[in-house]
Amino acid sequence: MYMLQALDIYKRFHRTEVLRGISLRVEKGEVIAIIGPSGSGKSTFLRCLNRLETVDRGMIEIEGEVMVRNGPDGKALYSDERDIARLRRKMGMVFQDFNLFPHKSVLENLMLAPVIVQKTDAVLAEKTARALLDKVGLSHKADQYPYQLSGGQQQRVAIARALAMNPDIMCFDEPTSALDPELTGEVLKVMKDLALEHMTMIVVTHEIGFAREVANRVIFMDEGVIVEQGKAEDVLLRPQHERTRAFLSKVLMAR
Amino acid sequence: MQYLASLLPTMLEGTVITVELFALTLVMSLPLGVIMAIARISRFKPLNLLMQFYVWLFRGTPLLLQLLFIYYGLGIVGIRLERFTAAVLAFVLNYSAYLAEIYRSGIQSIDRGQYEAADVLGLTYFQTMSKIILPQMFKRVLPPISNEVINLVKDTALIYAIGESELLRVAKTAAVRDFSFTPFIVAALFYLVMNGGIQQFFKWLEAKYDYYR
Ligand SMILES: Nc1ncnc2c1ncn2[C@@H]1O[C@H](COP(=O)(O)OP(=O)(O)OP(=O)(O)O)[C@@H](O)[C@H]1O
Ligand SMILES: [Mg+2]
Repeated sequence: MYMLQALDIYKRFHRTEVLRGISLRVEKGEVIAIIGPSGSGKSTFLRCLNRLETVDRGMIEIEGEVMVRNGPDGKALYSDERDIARLRRKMGMVFQDFNLFPHKSVLENLMLAPVIVQKTDAVLAEKTARALLDKVGLSHKADQYPYQLSGGQQQRVAIARALAMNPDIMCFDEPTSALDPELTGEVLKVMKDLALEHMTMIVVTHEIGFAREVANRVIFMDEGVIVEQGKAEDVLLRPQHERTRAFLSKVLMAR
Repeated sequence: MQYLASLLPTMLEGTVITVELFALTLVMSLPLGVIMAIARISRFKPLNLLMQFYVWLFRGTPLLLQLLFIYYGLGIVGIRLERFTAAVLAFVLNYSAYLAEIYRSGIQSIDRGQYEAADVLGLTYFQTMSKIILPQMFKRVLPPISNEVINLVKDTALIYAIGESELLRVAKTAAVRDFSFTPFIVAALFYLVMNGGIQQFFKWLEAKYDYYR
């Protein structure tokens, strides 16, 4: 059984077709890096996976359970809201700009959803939260507020917040793009640790180095389709397609 | 001095009515405005349109007109309200409309990312609003809300027009009777003191919410 399966996903915004038949199968413990030029649909695809966006056509299955499939009319047909809510809870999401809750302390950010969504006992939730903060190296920041933290620290809190829901799959949408270069390392380190613990991860990223070191599979997207995918070293070091080559040389040049 | 002392009892009575109207209006319209704001941004079109109409109506006409209409106008078609009841009704309807607009702009100033973060964590719409969006909104709208509250203190004088013996009417009666401007000065002081208190209160509130940015 696949951890996640997406088949032939189509999505348009107004007139522009942003996703044009994307398919992806993710096995348990796999780390997948999605790379590609700006506007190629990477974020949209990731957001479709946990229904932050709805798809127009296609099938998405999470741990063997259907979230959406094509109905008789050939258009996307979503499952029952309750089932979707349950499936979505298996997925954690980390955003480019953290989206921490500014009016809640770091600890409260981590405890909020476990307590009010999963109805976890507050004492237990706090214990878990503190353990997770320890894991991302921020135990000493538990009682501070997000604005008191650096970008890198905020993103680590955001990762811990997603982990607090005990997800099976973690999705990251350019988790280091909003950070100053000297702060990306600490976030990538946390993600690397997660990968070593065999967390299933889908990471949209511009960090070619990270993709090469951590990802099992690299997917290169352009104009709403997957142009090329394969083992990280194959795609990144021996790209088969001209468009992949052009993109990689541009990204590597920029650094 | 003695004259001042003789004024105070009646003027205090007038003040009580003013303060009652002020407090009742706030107690009802502060929460009502939140509900209206949420209805106003609802994706359910009829509700949304209804609230747009409501806000347009109550912000687009003078409060004095609304007050006269509810007290005298409704009386003509047989709905007779007590003076004070009519006053509270008019004020609540009017102030809810203004507050709803302030809340709405506050809610809409919150970043989309807050909704998305709450959404992926599995919070329901109601939980998202009550735990994430509204608490942040209240902090942002404190300055415009404090303006409205100060306006409200001054607007209470409008119920003069339906013959209610609030602070200003009492002052005027005394002034005319005693051929003295002192009652007006006293009334002005009362309003100033009330508004001073309100300003202090909001200062305190803003400081209290200063723990985050
Ligand atoms: N909500 C939306 N409404 C309309 N168009 C959108 C919306 N979201 C994305 N798009 C468009 O869809 C296309 C793909 O956007 P997407 O954000 O998925 O690209 P991306 O690969 O993540 O790019 P980047 O690297 O810049 O983040 C872009 O042309 C974008 O303008
Ligand atoms: Mg993107």
